[in-house]
Amino acid sequence: MNTNHTIGMNIGYRKGTLVSGLLFFVALFLPFIKDGDHNRNMVGLLPKLLTADMRVTGKILYLAIPVLALVLLGVGIALFMRPSRKMAICYSIVAALETALTVFTLFSSKSLLDKAHVLEHKFMVSHFGFGFWIMLVCGFVTLFCAMRTAKVHPGYILLTILSVIWLFPITWIILTAFRAESGYYVGYFFPKGLTFNNFVQLFSDTSLIHFGKWWTNTLLVATCNCILTSLIVLMTAFSLSKTRFGGRMMLMKIMLIIGMFPGFMSMVAVYNILKGIGIAQTLGALILVNAAGAAMGYYIVKGFFDTIPKSLDEAALLDGATKWQVFTKITIPMSKPVIIYTVLTSFIGPWGDYIFPSMMLGDNQSQYTVALGLNWLTDFRRIDAYYTQFAAGALLISLPIVILFVALQRFYVEGMSGAVKG
Amino acid sequence: MKKITFIKAFREGDIFSKISYLIWGLSNMVRGQIVKGLAFLAIEITYIIFMITSGVNHIENLLTLGTQEQGMVFNEEIGIYEIAQGDNSMLFLLYGVATIVYSLVVIAVWIISVGSGERARIAKENGHHVPGFVDECKALLDKKIYRTFLAIPFVGILVFTITPLIYMILMAFTNYDANHQPPGNLFKWVGLETFRQILSANNNISATFWPVLGWTLVWGVIATFSCYFLGMFLAILINSDGIRGKKIWRTIFMLTMAIPAFVSLLVVSTMLGSNGIINVLLQKWGFTTQALPFLTNGTWAKVTIIIVNLWIGIPATMLMVTGILMNIPKELYESAKIDGAGPVKTFTKITFPYMLFITTPYLITNLIGNFNNFGVIYFMTGGGPSTLDYYKGAGKTDLLVTWLYKLTKDNNDFNYAAALGIIIFVLSATISLITYSRSKAIKDEEGFQ
Repeated sequence: MNTNHTIGMNIGYRKGTLVSGLLFFVALFLPFIKDGDHNRNMVGLLPKLLTADMRVTGKILYLAIPVLALVLLGVGIALFMRPSRKMAICYSIVAALETALTVFTLFSSKSLLDKAHVLEHKFMVSHFGFGFWIMLVCGFVTLFCAMRTAKVHPGYILLTILSVIWLFPITWIILTAFRAESGYYVGYFFPKGLTFNNFVQLFSDTSLIHFGKWWTNTLLVATCNCILTSLIVLMTAFSLSKTRFGGRMMLMKIMLIIGMFPGFMSMVAVYNILKGIGIAQTLGALILVNAAGAAMGYYIVKGFFDTIPKSLDEAALLDGATKWQVFTKITIPMSKPVIIYTVLTSFIGPWGDYIFPSMMLGDNQSQYTVALGLNWLTDFRRIDAYYTQFAAGALLISLPIVILFVALQRFYVEGMSGAVKG
Repeated sequence: MKKITFIKAFREGDIFSKISYLIWGLSNMVRGQIVKGLAFLAIEITYIIFMITSGVNHIENLLTLGTQEQGMVFNEEIGIYEIAQGDNSMLFLLYGVATIVYSLVVIAVWIISVGSGERARIAKENGHHVPGFVDECKALLDKKIYRTFLAIPFVGILVFTITPLIYMILMAFTNYDANHQPPGNLFKWVGLETFRQILSANNNISATFWPVLGWTLVWGVIATFSCYFLGMFLAILINSDGIRGKKIWRTIFMLTMAIPAFVSLLVVSTMLGSNGIINVLLQKWGFTTQALPFLTNGTWAKVTIIIVNLWIGIPATMLMVTGILMNIPKELYESAKIDGAGPVKTFTKITFPYMLFITTPYLITNLIGNFNNFGVIYFMTGGGPSTLDYYKGAGKTDLLVTWLYKLTKDNNDFNYAAALGIIIFVLSATISLITYSRSKAIKDEEGFQ
């Protein structure tokens, strides 16, 4: 065997490639679909399909499967006889195409076959014969083996599938935000018309949707929370990590214990206290209470501070620095990732915070934050009229946060892993 | 320097020290710390005035929770019945708790003042410099910086976390339910009656509590470990050598984490409704002929929620694990490879033990977080589908926390809600204590320093 060709290959898998490719070919002659009382195989179905009144793309789809199966078999044999990396990659591409087509058949058969009246009855997925399922499985197995042979990581298959699942709801909400037809129930995925109107309405239709107001409210809360929480968390973490005093362990234990009570259990009481001060149902109350509890979230920052070598502080203290200088000149400059992480999360927090504002603000709609407003829009009495606007609003607040988050994910990872790399 | 204790100070101190137990700050003033001494004194006087004018009254009311019920009183002058304002048990409870917390803080100040006076006396007797007001202020930015830094958080937590918490805990020992609502009615102390009702098996409330508790436990364990292992798997997959475009893959999965949770949950729950897009598509593709009850059937809803939670939880674990994976020493993997270990063996012998060592605290926090995972349940099903077998409005997918929320917000059964809160606390605390005490990562606080 010519070793030059097999460099960068995993030829042990080529047998699997051939076998599954062969099986795919054989499956063409196995029961593909139930038509009335008898089963038809792919080859038997083809003449009926090609003569039916079907869109050309549909015909191409069903024709492409057996054709590609032949190509697959041919390339498979060639690969087995004379393995080369180029051939393996070529094989992978064909297998990927074939698999994609088979998956596509699974989802599009109903609309294609029903419209063309190919079958005697309405099509259901359960009408697929075991030949089809063998094709589906073999498609993936062939692809897997082919990628292994070409030494391409087969993890791509799984990642692609997962990405589709993960992006599905996100795609849906983006499409809905631009959908021209209003309403919650529509019988299709892709909108018939696209428009910017939903976004315009969010700001212009002030009779019901005060989106602009909600947005500025949330921005105010988020900004204040970001500044106050970051300062408080940094100071608390510094005190607990870098200074030693009587009752330090006790303080940490108490905070740990308090943290185990469900947070909103005491909200009724908090509400009563705020009412006593006279600021209940205002944004000020929300900011105040957020800041008051901020210290409880010191853990991550303290964990990071703990990894800054003690010797640095000691050296500075020996040189006559005060603890305040240690804080501002050593600890803060060395903790950039975790500080950015704290600032970021405390800014993002209020945008998604629902339960707490809902308890604090009650029915005072002029003080609503985005989360409260959007949830209010999806109430069953309003969802039908405002679903597209809801989607537009959801998109509008998610976009900046997503951009912030993605741009700063580095700091998240670094903030978690400490100041000194192992 | 000798340690000063509250009692020892009395035995060893001079006459001024002894008097300063009654007149706070006197000892400080005598040694020249005038401002500090006056501050202690001012705190004492304010407290005494407060206690005389209203404090004692609050404590008394806390014990009775009010005796005068609101009722109709005949007004002889006008000749009609009038509403006579009764006692408001709820306010009595709140004021009583506030008074107690205030008293505790003042007692703490008392102890501090005695210690401070004693320290000043010892310094003076030994001929040391007694720190003046300016010196003390400077120390607040140096050795005692923790006092400056912790002052605001301390007050915040005291007022807005601890006081309300005590208030709610005490509520569990009253009969403050829907039938005893102030200001119309009084409620009173009933001891452990509320707990008995929740735990004993013969009424509607305990018939709700046990199934809800069961589902909370099942949910917490499944949700935590499924996300943990699958997220770890995903992180390892993306991190493996042959995969290109690591950043792009990671970003795709992180999108669900970056989008505010309530948005993605609301969107997904509207998608899963009987008219939602998923049911529409399933019918269009020919998978089913009628809408599937994703969120309306108890069992379906439970499975759906667990799956949707994967959608949100896997990226979170992935992101955290990615950071740790990068920190695992490369040499470990290299030597494993030389010894002929396959990917499975590498995982079970190196990656997983390392990961478990570091992530145990995360895992516990996550488990407790999931027991209290309000968001997923509230936005997906709102606890529903509701059932008549359960107490007022509780549903098949309600966790203890969402039920607690309903009890306070919809039903005004504050005593049951408070008792549930305590039960949740006991649950969380037990799990934490058992695992934390065994976890090395916690004990090894200074391991890196």
